[in-house]
Amino acid sequence: MRKGYLLERVLYTLLIFMVVVTLNFFIPRIGVEDPAQRYYPPQGNMSDTEYNIIKQLTKKQYGFDVSPWEQYLRYLSGLTRGDLGTSLQPGSPKVATLIAQRLPWTLVLSVSNMVICVTLGLILGTSAAWRRGSVVDRALMNASTVMTALPSFFLALVFSLYMGFEWGWFPAYTEPDMVASFDFSWRAIVQVARNAALPVIAMSIGGIISYGQGTRNSVIAVSQEDFITTARAKGMSTRTVKYRHVLRNALLPIVTSLGMSVSGLIGGSVVIEQIFNWNGMGTLFLTANNTNDYPLMMGIMLFLSAFALVANLITDLIYSLIDPRVTVGGSRS
Amino acid sequence: MQRRKPVALAWLLCLVLFLGGCATDFERKQDSSNTLYIAEVASAFPQSFMPWFSRDGIAPTISSLLYSTLLSHDDLTDSYKENLACEWAYLDRQGLPMLTENGQVDFERLEEEYGGKDTAFIPVRFALNPEAVWSDGQPVTVEDVFFTFDLAANQKLSNHAGALVWVNDLLHKYDQNTGRLRRQGIYTYDTGANERGYPILESEKDQVFYFEISKVLGAITPLVSTVLVLPRHIYADLISLDHPINNTDPDQALRHAYENPVGCGPYRLHREATNNQEIVLQRRADYHIKDKDGGLLYKVDLLKFILFQEINVAIYALKKGHVDVLDASVSANYARLFEQEEDITLFPTPGIFAQTLVINLNPPSDRMTPARRQLVNPQLRRALALALDQDALISFVLSGRGRKAPMGLVLEGELYNPDANLLSEPIALRLQESNRILDGLYPQKDEMGYRLDEGHRLSYQILGSPGEQDLINYLQVLFQKIGVEVRYAAKGSSPENTYLYNGNFDMTLQSVSFTPANVDIMMNAHFCNLNRSSNYGRLSDEELTRTIGLMRATLNRDLKFDLVRQIQEQVAQQYYKLPLYCQDVLSAARTDRYTGWVKAEGTTAFNSDSLMSLRQVGKE
Amino acid sequence: MKRVHRSPNLLQKVWQHPQGKLGLVLVCLLVITALAAPLIAPFDPYDVTQRAEKGLSPSLTHLLGTSISTGQDIFSMLVYGTRVSLLVGVVTGLSTMFLGAFMGILAGYGGRLWDTLIMRVVDVMLVIPTLPLTIVLTNLFGKSYGMIIFIFTIFGWVGLARVIRSQVLVLKNSNYIKAAQLAGASKLYVMFQHILPGVSHLLIMSTALTSAGIMVAEAGLSFLGLGDPTAISWGKMLAEAQSGGALLFGHWWWIMAPGIGIFISVFAFMRVGLALEEVFNPRMKRSGALIRLFKSMNSSYIQQIFDDMEERGIPQIEDAMERGTV
Repeated sequence: MRKGYLLERVLYTLLIFMVVVTLNFFIPRIGVEDPAQRYYPPQGNMSDTEYNIIKQLTKKQYGFDVSPWEQYLRYLSGLTRGDLGTSLQPGSPKVATLIAQRLPWTLVLSVSNMVICVTLGLILGTSAAWRRGSVVDRALMNASTVMTALPSFFLALVFSLYMGFEWGWFPAYTEPDMVASFDFSWRAIVQVARNAALPVIAMSIGGIISYGQGTRNSVIAVSQEDFITTARAKGMSTRTVKYRHVLRNALLPIVTSLGMSVSGLIGGSVVIEQIFNWNGMGTLFLTANNTNDYPLMMGIMLFLSAFALVANLITDLIYSLIDPRVTVGGSRS
Repeated sequence: MQRRKPVALAWLLCLVLFLGGCATDFERKQDSSNTLYIAEVASAFPQSFMPWFSRDGIAPTISSLLYSTLLSHDDLTDSYKENLACEWAYLDRQGLPMLTENGQVDFERLEEEYGGKDTAFIPVRFALNPEAVWSDGQPVTVEDVFFTFDLAANQKLSNHAGALVWVNDLLHKYDQNTGRLRRQGIYTYDTGANERGYPILESEKDQVFYFEISKVLGAITPLVSTVLVLPRHIYADLISLDHPINNTDPDQALRHAYENPVGCGPYRLHREATNNQEIVLQRRADYHIKDKDGGLLYKVDLLKFILFQEINVAIYALKKGHVDVLDASVSANYARLFEQEEDITLFPTPGIFAQTLVINLNPPSDRMTPARRQLVNPQLRRALALALDQDALISFVLSGRGRKAPMGLVLEGELYNPDANLLSEPIALRLQESNRILDGLYPQKDEMGYRLDEGHRLSYQILGSPGEQDLINYLQVLFQKIGVEVRYAAKGSSPENTYLYNGNFDMTLQSVSFTPANVDIMMNAHFCNLNRSSNYGRLSDEELTRTIGLMRATLNRDLKFDLVRQIQEQVAQQYYKLPLYCQDVLSAARTDRYTGWVKAEGTTAFNSDSLMSLRQVGKE
Repeated sequence: MKRVHRSPNLLQKVWQHPQGKLGLVLVCLLVITALAAPLIAPFDPYDVTQRAEKGLSPSLTHLLGTSISTGQDIFSMLVYGTRVSLLVGVVTGLSTMFLGAFMGILAGYGGRLWDTLIMRVVDVMLVIPTLPLTIVLTNLFGKSYGMIIFIFTIFGWVGLARVIRSQVLVLKNSNYIKAAQLAGASKLYVMFQHILPGVSHLLIMSTALTSAGIMVAEAGLSFLGLGDPTAISWGKMLAEAQSGGALLFGHWWWIMAPGIGIFISVFAFMRVGLALEEVFNPRMKRSGALIRLFKSMNSSYIQQIFDDMEERGIPQIEDAMERGTV
């Protein structure tokens, strides 16, 4: 089943990608008679004939002078070369360049968030599971309903207000020279850590609770399995049972849900980035939206979709290797 | 338990980072060098500095510091100061300069000489400042000027960058189809000046040149004060038909030239320190204009422009001391925030833009609706204008930070005509008059008090952006007093193309500014031009168009200004763009490192006057 | 007179559930606030003449002060904001329910072709990043709550459809369905008369939970400015607070109020939803955590495994795990 599955998934992903690319190309052109009209300069003092010449030159410059079909083909061939288009920003930087500049910074937030969520969540969840009914356990269960109801951006605002503005523990807005003066020195790393503290804390609280609850449930569920009872009956020490058997198997669903969240690594922090003015893909996208920079917007959309597709594909393939039927069914090696 | 250790470690790490972070401080506070930190609010900073490309955001500011124009023009007093050109004059038909005793333009003689119908062009002579040098040491010569203006006029080589540069009135024309020079309008020693009758000696061949411009009084202004001169020795070899200058995908060499600009302005780009968050400019010691004591004209050595994408972030940075000055206007709501700070001073200056309510009074036939048909009636528009309580608008929307704008749309100054202000009476009387007019047109009202036209309520949509909602809400209240309803309608992403250029709106908001320098172009654009221009409502009044045409054509300066005053009265009578207010520019600067900030009308505390007078605190 | 014992209806069951009680009370309060907003709010935030001085701190006249940018009474804005949140949440919840149910039943019962088709579409929808897409669509087609409801529905039916489909696959194998088929009932008849009631409890429960989730998402979208600019919503209040300088001035009440509003409304609906879940399926209270965890994952591979097992009639693993006390 596996080889066939692999091929099918890869082909399917490619198909979806082509659909996304085509949609990406056509959506901004829907209902617009002259897609180049956003690029024309104002007519000012020019006569009509002069202005028509200007319009022609603009069209040629941005590639609108050919048929839509050919524009589409050019777009595709550009994609194969890694050219996602040219932004309308001053200086006409390439979309791919802008994405490359901002992507690492978004990853700083997302990856830190993921690491913290998983580690602290695991610790929290296992503590709660081992101590059923205790304060920790009950607090965790209640906390999870509370956390779903509190949007993370609201938490971010509250943290920003108190820890940033009022008490000054961390910078309320990202310091403007953080990106420019980054040189991998210790000072620079500390600066990034200080600036990233509030966004990551705000993002991770919800995640910690949810991973915590997931771990707790998973650990409890596995604890009920026959083979655990068998192990105990055999006289294995609690510690061995706990760590070698229960935990390792209980971790599986956590790992799988971790993989699921990989595809949301980039697009998920848009609002948080905006609140703290963090220099990542989220703020780039919002800026593109505000300035109607369509090439940039569509380029980022394409990149995000491609990333999500690839991430999904890879995690699916990894699961097919760690076939969960083995753990769910109860038979164990 | 085993789990405890990693947790403890994690906490320790956080603590260390936190403490370590406290030790680092933002660079400005410790910087005692002559460096000014300027906060700019924009979506992005340009990475290439080709001055003809962009008029948005910070680009014009940077360009004006890196490059120079032939002359500097003071918008408000309509006077010229020397820049690259240290002498200039209109010439009479014998080739002699027409100047008054104190070296000013002799407008009377200008009108005498060329006022008649047989004038084809007016010659102008310029002499460059021999001390002007490019930032790479090369002298600025007439070759650079010829190259610049020739390129701007050649659409094929400049790829419509020329359109941005407004060289329309320079009579140096290329044939658009063949790409060949049809008419020469720039004359230097090497390009036939003497043959044409414009004497240039060999000793002055690098400094003197002649222009032939069209017979419009204001023609000279954009040429001398807007066109930034480019270095020929950098660009001449890089530009060709395959590589025009306004290319969004320039090749390696051209891109290098854009990113490492060579200019003759007071500052040069500090390439190594510049990136997409900061632009750093270094003062040039060899700038050709000195201050009155012979020292450097601009007092700040290093300018650091720092990008902020949101105004709140910039304000925060100013409060925390990360920057010295905020080069953006803040809303009046923030005034209280700064008043509490000792080291921050607020600089309110009167603005030069009037916010107006534009009425679509002449929609094309396929965009006509019953509501817009009502607006075609000037009496209705007059009633709407009378209902505008500018005092209340200023107090409510601007929190008092603004001044009234007159119906003639030209603010107080040399050109202002008080007779054009038809809104000078007290609001109570005006409301009475407005209701009286409307009672005559639409006497019936519905249960909410809104007037009815054949059973349908008088209701108009005002196209605006979300930031203008507050204003539109208050306009609702004002118009309710005369029984007219107005509603907010979102502008959307490209309002010009979607609504404004094709007359598909009822009313909208627009900022206008008329100064002696721009009346030629702006009045035409706002009141006459029917194609893709600022004349959204497609006003087409023969009388007004004729007057504007006369105003643009006359060479008699006094007559021109009289005509501008007359135009204000005619514009006011049209009740087309109704003035709401003129908002103050509110900017703020810190005074702990620099003092000597100068206020200039219509700009923030960061302006060239300030740059010429700032002093570092503690280093007198 | 003898008291007739009627088995308690749904509402009463939820009421008796301790958490459900709290949820129902809160939902009622919210609905009342939304409907009676003009009566409860001291000022009309839409009325420009009722604006006060900008940036006032809380006082007796203005319980939560006034906004810095426009001088509106914040308490009144809070009250009126209930309307948008509840409206968007409930309408989207309902429309998602209809679409999800329809798709799920069709996929589960309509035959292999429909199943594959719908599940493939589901796969695609799960992958597309929704927030950026929403931003792009509102940019191109205009900002309004209608657009937001539309987008939420388009993306929201997916989760419900999968759950419904799983349930339908189980029901398909049950005896009474087989009997009906043998008796010659048409597919459509079976779908509406038998399957639909069989999944109805799932639908009701999911509506409540989806509405809760939608409210949070709507707050986020309004915060980014993608909703109707003239309407008052809690997310927009937070955005205004941030851009109007509440952080700079330290006006914490302007930030706390809408946040707590969002919290209470989402919390209420979630409580009701969770109570419903436990009322319908008390077994699920105790077991199946692992399965649920797996099922909630968006992996098509895992989905395939469960489909495989269910089609072959392997008994629900939940039954297998239901031993002992947990």
